[in-house]
Amino acid sequence: MSWMLDEQSFCHCCQLLLQWSQQLKDGWSWEGVQGSEDGYLRKTVLRSVVIDSSPVWDLEGSGSQSDTHTSCHSRPDQQGQETEQALCVAPEDGDSVRGDIDDDDDDDDDDDDGVCTVSGGSGQVLQYEYHILFSCSYGTPVLYFRAVTLEGRSLSLEEVWSSVHQNFRLRLQQSPLNTITLQEHPLLGQPFFMLHPCRTEEFMRPVLQAAQNQHRPVNYVLSWLSVVGPLVGLEVPLKYSTLLHPAASLGSTEPD
Amino acid sequence: MADDKDVLRDVWFGRIPTCFTLNQDEVTEREAEPYYLLLPRVSYLPLVTDKVKKHFLKVMKAEDVEEMWLEYEGTPLKWHYPIGVLFDLHASNTVLPWSITVHFKFFCPLVAKKLQYRDLLHCTSNSVIEAHFMSSIKEADALKHKSQVVNDMQKKDHKQLWMGLQNDKFDQFWAINRKLMEYPTEEGGFRYIPFRIYQTMSDRPFIQKLFRPVSPEGNVHTLGDLLKEMYPAALPNDGEQKRYQVVIHGIEPLLETPLQWLSEHLSHPDNFLHICVIPTPTD
Repeated sequence: MSWMLDEQSFCHCCQLLLQWSQQLKDGWSWEGVQGSEDGYLRKTVLRSVVIDSSPVWDLEGSGSQSDTHTSCHSRPDQQGQETEQALCVAPEDGDSVRGDIDDDDDDDDDDDDGVCTVSGGSGQVLQYEYHILFSCSYGTPVLYFRAVTLEGRSLSLEEVWSSVHQNFRLRLQQSPLNTITLQEHPLLGQPFFMLHPCRTEEFMRPVLQAAQNQHRPVNYVLSWLSVVGPLVGLEVPLKYSTLLHPAASLGSTEPD
Repeated sequence: MADDKDVLRDVWFGRIPTCFTLNQDEVTEREAEPYYLLLPRVSYLPLVTDKVKKHFLKVMKAEDVEEMWLEYEGTPLKWHYPIGVLFDLHASNTVLPWSITVHFKFFCPLVAKKLQYRDLLHCTSNSVIEAHFMSSIKEADALKHKSQVVNDMQKKDHKQLWMGLQNDKFDQFWAINRKLMEYPTEEGGFRYIPFRIYQTMSDRPFIQKLFRPVSPEGNVHTLGDLLKEMYPAALPNDGEQKRYQVVIHGIEPLLETPLQWLSEHLSHPDNFLHICVIPTPTD
């Protein structure tokens, strides 16, 4: 049994997600492509991060800089221990950290987030742009993203790795097809980073199976996003789950 | 009558005579001679242009050298597209040799607008090309066989596909690739055909969607059927002059050609059928 999404169900899941996003002021929009029915979900986020773009070596110490995937950004401090220099990812909106205490301090929209305190190095404000597209080859959504400084300079792959949480970085780097690579955006043609979709079905299968067994509604795109988003600093507020249940919003789950 | 296997060889050994000239604005210690090379249609620029780089580096000072990138008549050439596709898309119907300009500085007034794509214009190492190539093969198999054939292969088989391409070894490559071209006899073809349709008339880099080689009623789909579904503007209206050419590996296959046959014989080594739609030349 396979749990592949088809394009129509993808669009349906996106439209639902869009409605909930509007209610939660989570900032997603739908962008259409001129002259076709194709489109994608889009969200931009301002975030303050520490960028480490100097030469690095990976944790195993193999020292190669010309690897296909870039290495971790850890630096030994004076005691020779490795300290995490780069991670500083502020949550997008207070809800995902504070729970659902205050809805009314979302006066600003998505572009002003918390500024985190940085222990060492200088922080920069970056604009991250996330796109959710549909991959017909894999029958799954795919996450594309890019980051620019406020002066408009795009971040390199090395710099982007700095903003991936260390807990995920090693795992991502170990499996070449489950990692972040620079790609041509299939609809816009511009360079974007992409999280490879070929393993998506593997991790979505238990989620969808469980939902089916328990007769719970599931939105494929939302569930998928809640797994992959945090890998690249994109938070998905818990409140989405409370909006999911009242509506009978069944995602795509068509066993093949 | 030509054997189908001859077609495979003709595709593999297709070459484009190319002349590389250094961009005039590059700072050189002395005049650089143009460099001539026969480029394999089925390969990728960074895989075959080391000699070009070495040739021009000889006349440059180290401090003036950033990454090498290539351009044709103001269009920067993306490294991850097969060479034949770049030629068919941008330089079909022009006089040979193909004249490519070599750049070592990123900033270039002529192509300034396009330099937002700079990250797509050079790649750091052969392993990046290999990862891209293997990723395409896996995606193609996801479409053809739900990934079953490629996943059943051993790592050494995957490596052999790459080494075959890198070292221009037809037999070595096809020893493994033939398995990716098989299908259950009762099916009549692959599950879906891996294809991409390129054009330069809009920003969208390509069209790629699901399309079966055989209809549910059992009709064999042709190239014309694919275009009618995916890019009807490419087809001539009745009685009208042909506005566009539909080019694969530098030729215009008949629109009646079965898509399954095209996929098995005219795909690139990455297992995709790369189709270029270009305006018909007016002279």
